[in-house]
Amino acid sequence: MNDIMQSFNSLDDDLLIGGANLHSRLFLGTGKFSSHEIVPRVLEASGTQVVTMALRRIDWKNPQENILTYLPKNTILLPNTSGARTAEEAVRIARLAQAAGCGNWVKIEVVQDQRYLLPDNWETLKATEQLVKEGFVVLPYMSPDLGAARRLQDAGAAAIMPLGAPIGSNRGLQTKELIRILIEEISLPIIVDAGIGRPSEAAEAMEMGAAAVLVNTAIATAGDPVFMAQAFRLAVVAGRLGYLAGLGERRIEAEASSPLTGFLQEG
Amino acid sequence: MQIIVNGESQEIPPECTVIQLLQDQAVTLKAAVVEHNGKILKQEHYRSTHLQTGDRLEILVFMGGG
Repeated sequence: MNDIMQSFNSLDDDLLIGGANLHSRLFLGTGKFSSHEIVPRVLEASGTQVVTMALRRIDWKNPQENILTYLPKNTILLPNTSGARTAEEAVRIARLAQAAGCGNWVKIEVVQDQRYLLPDNWETLKATEQLVKEGFVVLPYMSPDLGAARRLQDAGAAAIMPLGAPIGSNRGLQTKELIRILIEEISLPIIVDAGIGRPSEAAEAMEMGAAAVLVNTAIATAGDPVFMAQAFRLAVVAGRLGYLAGLGERRIEAEASSPLTGFLQEG
Repeated sequence: MQIIVNGESQEIPPECTVIQLLQDQAVTLKAAVVEHNGKILKQEHYRSTHLQTGDRLEILVFMGGG
């Protein structure tokens, strides 16, 4: 297995976003872990380079606690704007995250719907336009819609992050066909965010040509998050190799894999 | 003197600066970001910013998130 990972790493297949060369196409969220202490081991097992986190009011019972303490120094920080219901709130959170020393990457997340946590593409677009102007590397989380994705691309987004299924639902690629269209039609990297619940679903997204996947709940709530992080790492590499290799054609009827020039029925 | 910190009213001594407030609460300065009356307050201004009655502070840190 190490041989495969080594030969994969020697492939020139970096993902370029916001001036960064990423060899890992697995982005990780840091929410829902049973403790912050497990996070460094999960990150190491996953091989990830890009990690998301959220800005919240300080917990006075635990004023020293901060997720950044647990992240390796070279990690690219991707603060999200979770909690924002409007573009204005998302912009405010992005500026605060930058002031907190988080760099200039931001995952826009604008949600008004509290049941399914589906993003508001219109507010997301407005926040993207503003933050691109301010020099941020903007990765918008969005409902997979071609028109909205084109507008986000025109606004200067660095990548597009459509959801596979509602956040935290572990239901996989429910929006598969719409994501397929985005991959086909949008020249920016498409990063499937939200909903991926199993390694096989991450592999499937990568086989389709997704540039990367962002996983949180599936790893954080697994029986063994460190093992699951490894499983996702392998699945993302497997799916990517499958995509690069070029998948064989699908057909309705059989096409024999063994030669049919049999001899049993002859003379 | 009363101010509002993270949406809750709090009694602080007069002439209190932002840095004093943060240090009293044992906040790790490097990891926090402060909004003072709706505007981001840069760390270099924590020492020189004296709080006034009715001021609103938001003290935020990074938590796990997806």
